[in-house]
Amino acid sequence: MTEEKEKNPEIVGFACSFCTFKASEMAGSLRMKYPDGIKLIQVPCSSRVDPAFVIKAILDGADGAFVAGCHPGDCHFIKGNYFTRRKIAALKEMFDAFSMKDKLRLFWVSAAEARRFVEKVTAMYGDIKEKKNAG
Amino acid sequence: MRTGIFICHCGHNIKHTVDVKKVSRFFKDFPTVVVSEDYPFVCSEPGQDMIEEAIKKHGLDRVLIASCTPSLHGELFKDLLKKSNLNPFLLRRVGIREHCSWVGDDPGPNTEKAIKLIKAGLYASAHYVPLEEKKVDVVKSALIIGGGVSGLSAALFLSRMGMKVYLVEKADHLGGHVGALKNIWPAREDGKSAVIDPMVSELGIMENVEIFTSTTLSAFEGFFGNYQATLNTPGGVKTVVAGGVIVAVGFSPFDPRLKPELNYGRDDRIMTTLEFEERKEGLSKDPRVAILHCVGSRDEQVNKPYCSRVCCINALRAANAIKVRHPDAYVESFYMDMRAHPKGGEEFFEETQELGVLFTRSNIGEIIPSSGGLLLRGEDTLLGETFEREFDYAVLSTGMSSPEDSKLISSLLKVTLDKDKFFLEAHIKLRPFDTAVKGIFIAGTCSGPKDMEESINHGRASALKLFGFLNLGYAFVDPFISWVDPKRCSGCRMCEQACVAKAIKYDEQKRIAHVEEAACMGCGLCNATCPSSSISLKGHMDSAIDDEIGAMIEGQSLVASL
Repeated sequence: MTEEKEKNPEIVGFACSFCTFKASEMAGSLRMKYPDGIKLIQVPCSSRVDPAFVIKAILDGADGAFVAGCHPGDCHFIKGNYFTRRKIAALKEMFDAFSMKDKLRLFWVSAAEARRFVEKVTAMYGDIKEKKNAG
Repeated sequence: MRTGIFICHCGHNIKHTVDVKKVSRFFKDFPTVVVSEDYPFVCSEPGQDMIEEAIKKHGLDRVLIASCTPSLHGELFKDLLKKSNLNPFLLRRVGIREHCSWVGDDPGPNTEKAIKLIKAGLYASAHYVPLEEKKVDVVKSALIIGGGVSGLSAALFLSRMGMKVYLVEKADHLGGHVGALKNIWPAREDGKSAVIDPMVSELGIMENVEIFTSTTLSAFEGFFGNYQATLNTPGGVKTVVAGGVIVAVGFSPFDPRLKPELNYGRDDRIMTTLEFEERKEGLSKDPRVAILHCVGSRDEQVNKPYCSRVCCINALRAANAIKVRHPDAYVESFYMDMRAHPKGGEEFFEETQELGVLFTRSNIGEIIPSSGGLLLRGEDTLLGETFEREFDYAVLSTGMSSPEDSKLISSLLKVTLDKDKFFLEAHIKLRPFDTAVKGIFIAGTCSGPKDMEESINHGRASALKLFGFLNLGYAFVDPFISWVDPKRCSGCRMCEQACVAKAIKYDEQKRIAHVEEAACMGCGLCNATCPSSSISLKGHMDSAIDDEIGAMIEGQSLVASL
């Protein structure tokens, strides 16, 4: 496959203001690199992410979507991320039924874990890119 | 709708990988965009004047600033809008520096990404409505957790300014680590009488200070200006109401037992600098002493990659003290790098060298005790050779680890820890005293290794910031709270179950839910849960986020054809 024809995925991420969005800011200040196909939407808490948002992102043409928040137990809103975990688990089941389980990921990144943020999004981008270019 | 878009070059920070001219040109054609400009430094005074003028001249009703991350300069631009008689919640910030120019190197894709991010901001801001900042009364009192040197200095400052202070200390006395020091550098006095006692006695005569010793925090709730803390005191459980909190729980000394190769704890000739202070009278005549730096600092093996700042000077003090007492003693100091950073530290290092202390740049592998002495095995990192030497005593200069209860306190207060389990500041340079939670501050070594002077400064600075927050007696909080559309609510009560803050109440007569504004934390969980989409979180409405998603995905080909 030639360079021009390589397809670059577009991934929409929903990031919690208190943790993952802060981590992404730190990743930026530390000049860590991650693919430009990753675009973040800031939400006050990962529990603000309505499953409908994820579905909309995929229907609109995103190659993947992720929801990221604070580690379980660390939620600024006490237990918002436990709700997120259950909601996204249910959504994954649904995605699985349509054979697109890979398009959705949920991960926990605290405000201090800029490196983890970059690792997680880069890994997801890599996996999706591989699938996209294979098929 | 009349939107003004202002794109910052941030000097070369954004400009070098984002074609800002192309971006500003791209948005000129949008029907809702009246102004689309790029400017070298939007946050500078001329940059702000430019925005102010544009708002007046074009009658803008939305302002989009694409620059650094939204948390930076947020208040600055909000005030700018207020000054121009525009509701500050009609401002949209797009972080094209931290989320675009700094994370990618290629100008082509970066420019495209910047355009998409700004477009997402533009589409979302179309849904923005003017919001009113909520004014809340705040209690003029502070809870200080930790009675060490930084907690005490914070308490003193606040009580002198006439604020009610609750000081909570887990031990049965105040003073923390400094209170236990026998000889503080460079004053050469003991920590308790020189530093702690004057502070404690002044606090004692203050009427507005309540000190709880042998007390721990067991529960914590509320919001800025009105936190309720439950304290487990020896006299029973007590609840105090505080407007703000200063966390000053200090550090735990690194336990050298975690490095078993040093045999600490198995032989009493191997001691830490603190134990050495107590024992230095009882050393044998003209001893051979090895002093080890960086025990539990700059050590990936025990997961402490950071420098603990104070241990070099502690090690130097120990070496110096032996040489002063026993001029014929053989003292060798094994260091990685000498970081005698406080004022006068370098001079003290030279003075110690002149006394005849030997300094060897090395890594020590193990200490093997035997009846004759302690055998040190290590590598001289300047010569690149291994060596074995025998000593009578080994003094370990241990570093600072995060406080034992940092995990507990952070989960009670909902503040974040960094990777080393120290408390994380809101911004490492610009807001080093704040946590991400409004009204909760950190002071002293609980946010990272500091020496005594820095801890005192940190405590006072946090106290000053908290005082500034609470002194008015009221505060404005973000109006990002949920609102129920009574026409759409079906009364299914799902939101009521979901709400963690118990802010949603069910109205039995009208059979609909409503939100108690004061209790709402603004997480948006109810909004995401509501099956009939009748609850909206102000400032983060479904429609805004939907359009934001759409903007990030749409128009691939449109951008490419430019």
